[in-house]
Amino acid sequence: MNKSLKYIMIASIVLSTSAIIAQSINQKTETVKIYGNCGMCESAIEEAGNMKNQSNVDWDKDTKMAKISYDSLKTSKEEILKRIALAGYDSDIFLAPQDTYSNLPSCCQYERAEIAIVKMDASIVDNETKDQTAYSNNTAEMQEEDPLSAVYNSYFAVKNSLVETNGGTASANAKDLLTAVNNVKMDKLSMDVHIVWMKVLENLKEDAKQIADTKEASRQRAYFNTLSKNIYEVIKISKQETPTYYQFCPMANEGKGANWLSKEETIKNPYYGTQMLSCGKTVETIQE
Amino acid sequence: MNKPIKHLAIFCGILFSNIIVGQNIVRYDLTMTDTIVNFSGKEKRAIAVNGQIPMPTLTFTEGDIAEIVVHNKLKESTSLHWHGVFLPNKEDGVPYLTQMPIEPNETFTYRFTIIQSGTHWYHSHSGLQEQIGMYGSFVLLKKKEDPTFRTGIDDLPEVPIILSEWTDIKPENVHRMLHNANDWSAIKKGTVQSYSEAIKAGHFKTKIGNEWKRMLAMDVSDVYYDKFLINGKNESQLPQFEAGEKVRLRISNAGASSYFWLNYAGGKMIVVANDGNDVEPIEVDRLIIGVSETYDVVVSIPNENTAYEFLATPEDRTKSASIYLGKGKIQLKSRMPKLKYFEGMKMMNEMMNMDGSMDDMGMDMSYQQMDMNTVMYPEITGNPEMKMDDKIDHSNHSISANKDIVTLNYGMLKAPQPTTLPKDAPIRELHFELTGNMNRYVWSMDNKVLSETDKILIKKGENIRITLYNNSMMRHPMHLHGHDFRVLNGKDEFAPLKNVLDIMPMETDTIEFLANTEGDWFFHCHILYHMMAGMNRVFSYENQAPNPYLPNKKWAYKKLQAESNQFHFMAENDFATNGNDGMAMLQNTRWSFGTEWRLGYHEEHGYETETHVGRYIGKNQWFMPFVGFDWRYRKQNGEIEKNLFGQTNTKDQRAVFSLGAEYTLPLLVKLQGEVYSDGNVRFQLMREDIPISPRLRWAFMVNTDVEYMTGFKYIITRNLGISSHYDSDMGIGIGATLNY
Repeated sequence: MNKSLKYIMIASIVLSTSAIIAQSINQKTETVKIYGNCGMCESAIEEAGNMKNQSNVDWDKDTKMAKISYDSLKTSKEEILKRIALAGYDSDIFLAPQDTYSNLPSCCQYERAEIAIVKMDASIVDNETKDQTAYSNNTAEMQEEDPLSAVYNSYFAVKNSLVETNGGTASANAKDLLTAVNNVKMDKLSMDVHIVWMKVLENLKEDAKQIADTKEASRQRAYFNTLSKNIYEVIKISKQETPTYYQFCPMANEGKGANWLSKEETIKNPYYGTQMLSCGKTVETIQE
Repeated sequence: MNKPIKHLAIFCGILFSNIIVGQNIVRYDLTMTDTIVNFSGKEKRAIAVNGQIPMPTLTFTEGDIAEIVVHNKLKESTSLHWHGVFLPNKEDGVPYLTQMPIEPNETFTYRFTIIQSGTHWYHSHSGLQEQIGMYGSFVLLKKKEDPTFRTGIDDLPEVPIILSEWTDIKPENVHRMLHNANDWSAIKKGTVQSYSEAIKAGHFKTKIGNEWKRMLAMDVSDVYYDKFLINGKNESQLPQFEAGEKVRLRISNAGASSYFWLNYAGGKMIVVANDGNDVEPIEVDRLIIGVSETYDVVVSIPNENTAYEFLATPEDRTKSASIYLGKGKIQLKSRMPKLKYFEGMKMMNEMMNMDGSMDDMGMDMSYQQMDMNTVMYPEITGNPEMKMDDKIDHSNHSISANKDIVTLNYGMLKAPQPTTLPKDAPIRELHFELTGNMNRYVWSMDNKVLSETDKILIKKGENIRITLYNNSMMRHPMHLHGHDFRVLNGKDEFAPLKNVLDIMPMETDTIEFLANTEGDWFFHCHILYHMMAGMNRVFSYENQAPNPYLPNKKWAYKKLQAESNQFHFMAENDFATNGNDGMAMLQNTRWSFGTEWRLGYHEEHGYETETHVGRYIGKNQWFMPFVGFDWRYRKQNGEIEKNLFGQTNTKDQRAVFSLGAEYTLPLLVKLQGEVYSDGNVRFQLMREDIPISPRLRWAFMVNTDVEYMTGFKYIITRNLGISSHYDSDMGIGIGATLNY
């Protein structure tokens, strides 16, 4: 063999071994348990754990054990397991966030060791929560007295469906509203309420029917605008023990503005659904 | 000695010694030194106090005398401001306003009586030192016999939590880059919102509309940070807490420019105090803490053998910092999903008038109650794009619209005791409009920066009522020194007390306070870079006693004014195959000194410079009249050029003065008109930074001298780009662009 060629070969062997050594000093491999079920979990776990030039994860769905190899100068076992937990998979160091876990595809929802988070004792939060329980008791009592309560309740149900942009339930609730409107015992209404009621009755029926007839939230909202105005006329004159909030969003109804009624002071806009949920303000609080 | 006098003397003696015994002096020694830190993998300069970042937590009990001795071992001057603390004006720690700067190797003692309780913090008020480590918690405990002592809250175990951020770029440089509309931060954050990204997201019309209204890409924050920190660490654990325990977190946001979302993995959080003042407990899922605000939050450790993540996410949601409470397996909290920027841009387009003012469409927004940014939050509005995307990004995996998340806002804060001001005091009404200009990073009040205004005189004993309207595109945490103000949020006599008011774009908020402590008090936006841009005012009490630490107040105020109206330098040069193309500029709030050059490699291409000295006019600074000087030399043997108006010039050798103006047109195109001393006239249209893709910029220029240029630049690093352009004088060229 030619001498120079020999040198080159030796040199390259020395070089390549030293490169391998350098790599293996930083390269670590460990086997850890990661909770999961199926092949879908496998790809999700590995995708979350793998990082180019940093880490490689190989999970076995039968043993639930993962072989993790990584460059210890660039990352750590904890970092990799944290990423996997944030994708929804528990390990012995990290527990996945509750909501991430419950959003996993059902085949991936492995059995968790500890699930229940003890409800926090909210003893130091006083007024607000207690007020709310008192308030729901009140409404229960009121329902027996006010002949219009069924109408209001189904109106609020329609409103809540529109807040969620759920045309299907809005339609069903509007059907209930129509029934409630037809079943109002008008002889039980006081004089002034009766007058207003007769004035708006036909329009209420029409709007409720239109909302019931379609499952398209955008069309329902157009009728909901006038429906709300008419319900407002009635609720304003009838005696209310708990407050009802008359709210307004200037952007709704193509910039002309639109109103709605709500039992909560917090704005939940029925005209945009999630798009502009908090758009609006309370313009009037209706209470006796 | 006369007997009664003797008695009196003894009595006085007893009283005096009582005071001494009753008041406990608590002394801290703080030594500032330069240090090298490594938060991001790179070694960078920072400032440590007693060898640590953050600065040590200082704890006092109401009634103590605080004695804090500062030893400045830095090579620059410094100061310490006690944020939210009631004290005599001379102890407030604002250089050139309440004291002279503490010079290198000087020792300075702050000494004041603690007359309040609550969670506060302290920081340097000199330059940008706060960004590089000079912040710490300042905890004032209630006395046991305090009538406002709340069992179940004030006796809980507690931890100070101080939030901050770290950037590897020197803060002075960050500040300079902001003023030069350098978009390196946006590139690093992935928020350039370029045309290609807009088209991909189906928002081309939104982007065009946005630029038509002369807006740069909208973002919720301006600076790219390498790391976010809780108590100086990105990730840490407090294992001392057991299952079933409740913990009070005393949280201060010491970030220089970051708002933080606070989330907890162990259930709901109960807010019990804000800016050092007790509030009626409120149960929430999350809250946002403005720059320099403090919140006290009670959390619990629900299960055994589990630690729970307390997660702080900056408003731009690029990264996060965590602290784990308890021991055992770590229960994580899901990360906040990325912002839908184009939805935000669309919303901004609707709210922005063509003249650059904001239109709230009659919504009377106030006290954070209607957060328009919600349109960008996938966790509230859902994420329809995701379903169509079959490749699921796992960091965003847990998105489902949730309308039941309870987010804290100012409307929910209520003081436990009445906070009304004296009824018979005269009321002084003040109005401020918060104004700003994102393109040139000018932030002001009533379109005036500090250097353009005098101190605002107020009288001791007056009730000062301030109405603030935010007519800018960013939110501003407005901080008042030395006083707490009532936030008139509809809670009547129980209006909460604060010293920082976060005010969102288009909001109108009213605050009021009793002027009860004389002195000169700073009122400013606490985003450090907005403060340094001049978004400040000073409230000055009439007929106040002189300040022994600041003998020449008039001169000092000039120094203070100058600090927030500094000149910023920028320069750029394209080393191209067809010549050198470059510019340099020196600008402050109103003035601009700029020069451009085109230097060929041989005499036929010639050498040319244009210098303009101009002043920006108006709130939006779209208009800039200027005087100029042009010089040009080239050898083209007397070839005569004709412009569109029929005027002629050889341009071979010319030196002329000019008078002109520049105006920013919709789509951010700059129109320039100039009349030269030789009678020639030139109009020019130009735009240099059209974002085609996150890193690709398109430039064009055309003028009535029939000169034109078009080119592309690809941004590689903060200071380097590759460019190629065609110039009517010099032809086609490619090169490297260096910029500073």
